[in-house]
Amino acid sequence: MTHKLSNPEQWLALYGDILYRFGLARVRKSEVAEDLVQETFLAALKAKDKYTGQSTEQTWLIGILKHKVIDYFRKASRDNVQEFDENIIAEKDDFFNQQGHWHVNLSSWSKPEEAMEQDQFLVILQQCISHLPPRMAQLFMLSEFDNMTSEEVCELMSISTMNNFWVMQSRVRVQLRHCLDINWKN
Amino acid sequence: MLTCKQASYLASKKLNKKLTLKEQLDFFLHTMICRLCREYARDILVLHNIAQKAGRAGKEILSGSAKLSEQSRKSIKQTLDKAMQSK
Repeated sequence: MTHKLSNPEQWLALYGDILYRFGLARVRKSEVAEDLVQETFLAALKAKDKYTGQSTEQTWLIGILKHKVIDYFRKASRDNVQEFDENIIAEKDDFFNQQGHWHVNLSSWSKPEEAMEQDQFLVILQQCISHLPPRMAQLFMLSEFDNMTSEEVCELMSISTMNNFWVMQSRVRVQLRHCLDINWKN
Repeated sequence: MLTCKQASYLASKKLNKKLTLKEQLDFFLHTMICRLCREYARDILVLHNIAQKAGRAGKEILSGSAKLSEQSRKSIKQTLDKAMQSK
């Protein structure tokens, strides 16, 4: 099946918010996300003759936006605007006691099986992500949803060592898992 | 023997990278006797799989309610209109 592009005049109405959300979830700054939406539409306008119709218009636009997000991270890390606060690693950890044993109650949540359940699960997951410190949320979005390699995320986010990346990634998962424990009931 | 904190680190790393033999062995021995860490490892695997699947399907953006502000919508529209005219 091939897809067709709609009139670019409709893009903003059709995809503006979707692209904005996608960008915001990654860059975490509304003014940056707004700029990225605009840049995406401009790039799409230039490239629209190259659209082959193999993916939907939305997927195609998001593909362009993904590149814009990466460009933004590259530029930010070059300009040194972006400093990953790695002090977070040394911070006190509420989830383990001093002996390194679990400090939280681990109740087990059930795995969402059905597609509809998974959609509800994603809503809760998204809320949990939005409560993370911004950098942690960014790290999770890039490595899990965007399927970037750990090395790529490290580079984009200017994380100094792979070990720091693994530590932060692990912390994100402990926190998200805990948040899901509390909020995901089915 | 690993602590749970160390085991949770390996459980997480394992999802993105192949562990060294020593890490695999340590993790295996710990989870043999630690139910909490077994459950933890299973849970974050589910989380990992669902997130990746949703990412591939572009689904994570369906939820959430953030919208472009009216002001930025207007300014994007103006820029786009200009770009379309000059084509």
